Amino acid sequence: MNIFLLIGIFTLLFVSISVLEEFLKHYKLMKAYEGKNIARVEDYGYKDHYLLKRLWKSFSSILVVLIAFGLYFSIIIIFLQSINSSSIVTSWSGATFKWYLNMFSNKSFNNAIIHTFTVSILATIISTVLGTLIAVGLFYSSKRIREHILLLNNFPILNADIVTGISLMLIFSSLITIDPYFFGLKTMLLAHIYFCIPYVILNVLNKMKDLSQNVVDASFDLGLNPFKTLIRVILPALKSGIFAGAILAFTMSYDDFVISYYTTGNGYDNLSIWIYSSMGRKSLSPVVYAFSIIVIIVCLLVLIASLFIHKKKGAKK
Amino acid sequence: MKKPYKRLAIPYMAWLYIFALLPILVMVFLSFVKTDGLDFEGIKFSLNNFKQLSESSTLVAFRDSLWISVTSALISAVFGYLVAYKIYRSHISNKFIIVSILILPMWCNILLRTEALGNVFQEHNILSDLLSRIGIIYSLNIRGTYPAVIIGLVLTYMPYMILPIYNALEKIDPALEEAASDLGMTDLQKFYKVVLPLSFKGVVTGSIMTLLPCLSGFAIPEILGSGNIVMIGNVINSMYLDMNYNIGSLLGIIIVVVITLAVFLINKIDKDGDMLI
Repeated sequence: MNIFLLIGIFTLLFVSISVLEEFLKHYKLMKAYEGKNIARVEDYGYKDHYLLKRLWKSFSSILVVLIAFGLYFSIIIIFLQSINSSSIVTSWSGATFKWYLNMFSNKSFNNAIIHTFTVSILATIISTVLGTLIAVGLFYSSKRIREHILLLNNFPILNADIVTGISLMLIFSSLITIDPYFFGLKTMLLAHIYFCIPYVILNVLNKMKDLSQNVVDASFDLGLNPFKTLIRVILPALKSGIFAGAILAFTMSYDDFVISYYTTGNGYDNLSIWIYSSMGRKSLSPVVYAFSIIVIIVCLLVLIASLFIHKKKGAKK
Repeated sequence: MKKPYKRLAIPYMAWLYIFALLPILVMVFLSFVKTDGLDFEGIKFSLNNFKQLSESSTLVAFRDSLWISVTSALISAVFGYLVAYKIYRSHISNKFIIVSILILPMWCNILLRTEALGNVFQEHNILSDLLSRIGIIYSLNIRGTYPAVIIGLVLTYMPYMILPIYNALEKIDPALEEAASDLGMTDLQKFYKVVLPLSFKGVVTGSIMTLLPCLSGFAIPEILGSGNIVMIGNVINSMYLDMNYNIGSLLGIIIVVVITLAVFLINKIDKDGDMLI
């Protein structure tokens, strides 16, 4: 049995059952109305198209499920590869957890993980702090300056990764005469800060619009200096925006390949570069699949936990 | 009252000029000269780099990138709109869950995800091996063809399409739709006369957000195309790996021009940047 045929038959079955169900419902209703003198909108030329609507509804639901499945399809395959006992990805040879147990036995892989987290965490912290301050500054700037900076701010987000990578490499290589070991952690960190800041700014600026200016004015009137107002009044109000920006920045930094690839040097590999070079040598060890699955599971648990906390808070209110 | 925070944003302008605009000028300069790597010793003016543009390999790369990325963006737009619309209608009001579910796959490295897809696109793979044991045939031998690259791009960049469209849909006032119903519109009319025009901003932003990475990426075509499909990103990458910075910069500049147009377009339709997040 071909799998595509199977999916097709299943879709057809689901759609036809739901259409049939709708038809029966409608038929029963018609029967109930029969003989009674009840006016219905259909009598006045209104067409309900109930079958068509139902057809579209069930068909589009199936499509959405398939798309969601597609978005997670590669993760499912990575999971299968991570519990496959052979390191050859073309065939299944029994389930095992040995890749999970030996996850940190490969030294270069360990280094790559440490480098990835060093860069991502540092870049997230620095870009969140700077991005928040810049966003507050932008909000109070004149309209001309704000629009000018926001226009330039779209550049790091929208520019092609390869162009950003090359641009930063060109800039950094002009500094190589001062510091021959400049390429590596420092350049990669600068590059990540460069492309993380805009996401933080957009998130914080969005929250800034909801902040009532009267509160800020009140704080000034009560004699708080600008620094204290920023810490005690403005930042607490922006908490959720800052948090969202930080999460987005960390995700972007963790997932980045091309920009890191161009701005690294002196053997400072992060996870993406390590994977790329292993793939080039056709020597990708399944431990990296196991590691990815662990990361996804941890993220999922954090997500569920945060939802739970969110719900509890809502219940208290 | 005058707020003293204005000064906080000024250093960022300098930072953007140095890291975003200066390198582009350097790239423009590099594309008009002949240098040996980044060694400016024997520098001389030359227009030879422009000859590369008329070579058939570059033209094929341009043509392929263009139609592959436009097709991928169109497919993402249609399906992404469907998903965004379904989420909008499903009354899941917690936006945090939606965003998290869409960006969760990003926590797995993009190269690994692409490689996993590539493995399944081969004739013999782990999935077909597993399914064959329960009597289901699965064979999809498309690695190295255009459909493989397009499927890979669509599945990777679809979240960038769904989020802006959902953001736009969410901002539509439900009263407008009720008014349309009261005025006697059918559901289909309501969709293309009220909902679609109001969410068009999100579609444009989403299309740009998916089109640009599709146009310039080199990892996905390299892995899923297994060497048969060369897009413009691959050409630039190989030029830079060969230390041929001049032609690489020239091709990069062409991409920058396209992107600058996109930045202005996005800025025009979305003044506050609230579609991008």
